[in-house]
Amino acid sequence: MPIEITMPRLSDTMESGTILKWNVSEGDNVSSGDAVADIETDKATMEMQVYDDGTLAKILVNEGESVGVGTVIALLAEEGEDPKDAASAATGNGKKKDETAEGKDESDESAEKDDAEEKDEKQDADEAEGKKESESEQSGETIKTERRTEPKGAEQTSSGRMRISPVAQRLAADNKVDLKSIQGSGPSGRIIKRDVLKAIESGQETAAAVAPSARRDGEKPASPITRVSPVAVSDEGPGPLEARTIELSNMRQTIAKRLVESKTTIPHYQVTVTFDMDPLLELRKTLNEQLAPQRVKLSVNDFLVRACALSMHRHHEFNASWTGDGIKVHGEVNVGIAISMPAERGGGLVVATIRNADQKGLRTISADSKKLAEKARTRGLSIEEMIDSTFTLSNLGMFGVDNFTAIINPPNSAILAVGAALEKPVVRDGQLVVGHEMSGTLSCDHRIIDGAMAAEYLQTLRQFIENPGTLLV
Amino acid sequence: MSDAMREDKRVFLMGEEVAEYNGAYKVSRGMLDEFGPRRIIDTPISEGGFAGLGIGAAMHGLRPIIEFMSWSFSLVAADQILNNAPKMLYMSGGQFGCPIVFRGNNGAGGQLGSTHSWCVESLYSNVPGAKIAIPFDPYDAKGLLRTAILDPNPVFVLESERLLSIKGEVPEESYEIPFAEALIRRSGSDCTIVSFGRPLYFCLEAAEQLAKEGIDCEVIDGRTIRPLDIDTIVKSVRKTNYCVVVDQSWPFASVSSEIAAQVHMRCFDDLDNHVFRVNNDDVPAPYAYNLEQEMLPNARKIVEAVRAVTYNA
Repeated sequence: MPIEITMPRLSDTMESGTILKWNVSEGDNVSSGDAVADIETDKATMEMQVYDDGTLAKILVNEGESVGVGTVIALLAEEGEDPKDAASAATGNGKKKDETAEGKDESDESAEKDDAEEKDEKQDADEAEGKKESESEQSGETIKTERRTEPKGAEQTSSGRMRISPVAQRLAADNKVDLKSIQGSGPSGRIIKRDVLKAIESGQETAAAVAPSARRDGEKPASPITRVSPVAVSDEGPGPLEARTIELSNMRQTIAKRLVESKTTIPHYQVTVTFDMDPLLELRKTLNEQLAPQRVKLSVNDFLVRACALSMHRHHEFNASWTGDGIKVHGEVNVGIAISMPAERGGGLVVATIRNADQKGLRTISADSKKLAEKARTRGLSIEEMIDSTFTLSNLGMFGVDNFTAIINPPNSAILAVGAALEKPVVRDGQLVVGHEMSGTLSCDHRIIDGAMAAEYLQTLRQFIENPGTLLV
Repeated sequence: MSDAMREDKRVFLMGEEVAEYNGAYKVSRGMLDEFGPRRIIDTPISEGGFAGLGIGAAMHGLRPIIEFMSWSFSLVAADQILNNAPKMLYMSGGQFGCPIVFRGNNGAGGQLGSTHSWCVESLYSNVPGAKIAIPFDPYDAKGLLRTAILDPNPVFVLESERLLSIKGEVPEESYEIPFAEALIRRSGSDCTIVSFGRPLYFCLEAAEQLAKEGIDCEVIDGRTIRPLDIDTIVKSVRKTNYCVVVDQSWPFASVSSEIAAQVHMRCFDDLDNHVFRVNNDDVPAPYAYNLEQEMLPNARKIVEAVRAVTYNA
């Protein structure tokens, strides 16, 4: 009997998952522990491991498709079993499981396909390929084995084909318009002549299309004055923006759901203080100079994480959750740091958890946070790396922001929003001097934390930040 | 007709009530007086008989013009006009041609019921060997008819009862309008509308309305269905990228489906949308006035089709 590989439940809240990428093909041998697929859940993109050895006999759920937890997504032929026999069992099995699957994302298309599985196998393969392209766009990955070179993409139908009228295609080719950048306005998103003309007018010809042709002409690199700018912009300025609807990624849906829940059910209020940052910046400079040979570079944020964590020990309500009938004070101090995702990975925001931040030194916090940020932006975080935070720190200082307020990340009781450490005229010992100040705004759950408690927490935090030596030992 | 008869003694007119009554629709008014009963011949109500008689005369060197009071009645002469006339040259190995003109009213006259409202162009244009001309106005009626009479092949001239009252400038002298030369009745840049005969008036009406909406239509009068001037249509569609074919016969296997197929074949890379068609609804013609108007191609249907094909719906 073939071994059924089912959509795993990768988090408590996961109801369905999307196969982003199959790392193996039908016929490949796999061993227990191999990461055979990348799966997008409501929270994260994760690798899926197999727990058996064998040969992948049949892929039942194509890339880009979403199915409910428990749905059979592939069949594994055991050692000694003929993969073909295992695969032939596919249709019946797949259908049965699909019928019981709860995944609401499951489309009619996949149901239809099951019915005509065998006949449409070739088409399925085409579809999968189309999906792969669109997924790779989202994730910013490069598929090295890409065979299609013609422009494909933006307006792919559910079957992976792009809808475009013949004349629109020809116009786009003649004018070197990147079809991926065009939103079709015809039926089912078909790209029509008008769409391409609009794109031409607004000068959307890609720089890529311009630059290589200039090089092909064999000309010497043009002088800086005449060089074609990397982004071709027409003389009339930027073209009109086009109205469009962006499909929600799982992450965007989760952000929307959780933050609406937070902002509508948690009685938020904010308290703002300004920190004198001169001592901390000075200490940081010194430390970084001395630690440079060890390739350690501490960020302001690393200090803040530690300062927040240490403050928890004096203010337990900040390390607590509202349970409905009680206040649960946590035994661990896990500081979440908000990380924005790059646009090529679909944008959005994740909160990475620095566990036991109160127990860790600056060096470890720095290393942890660098590792998490890097992983979040390249491969995506695992659920483990995102859950269990007890307090969140959101820092927009790198954008030069003065101050802002943040929405509490449930089930936290508070979130600290910090801006940049800005050079300002400040009063020190009755004298007007130039110094660095940073604003911090604490959003609190009033069910747990009262205003005075927030003020006290910020006072503690200020003591740590303005006396940064206390953060070292 | 009179011009041709004056020039060529072989030409004669035969049909129901063409002589004594001056024509059921007064098309042959005064011709009996001028040419006499040997050349303007009243027939019994027997299309099969006089159509066959005409074909025989044509095979023997005469140039008959056979008038059907309505093309709806030509169906009883189907064997003669579809099975004999168009194939004669071929079947006789070139010994006999069949230089005959069948003419009469085609299309819904207005509340004539299902059996008398035939639009035969789709049915008849399916048959190789015959030519089909459809005049739009008096000028074309005279020019196309003359070309038909001079043509050595059988030609069906599909006139319209509803257009007999249209007045227009017609030169005194004789002239011919060559077949397979479509005419652009209205030039425009945004959408090509192709039609023949009476529906062209609806097309022009629709084009005026659409112009107010900013859609500049080009209306092409095909003039002859066989031979078809597809080149003019193709040239226009390459310019506009959109095409609507308006055809007063039923949609299935029709003139419009043929033109649509040819446009798709010739202009595939120039199309921004598939060809849209406006036809008679696919039902027998109703008697009720309002239903009949709705069943026929009309300006509203054409406007809607143009909006849809140009993605302006």
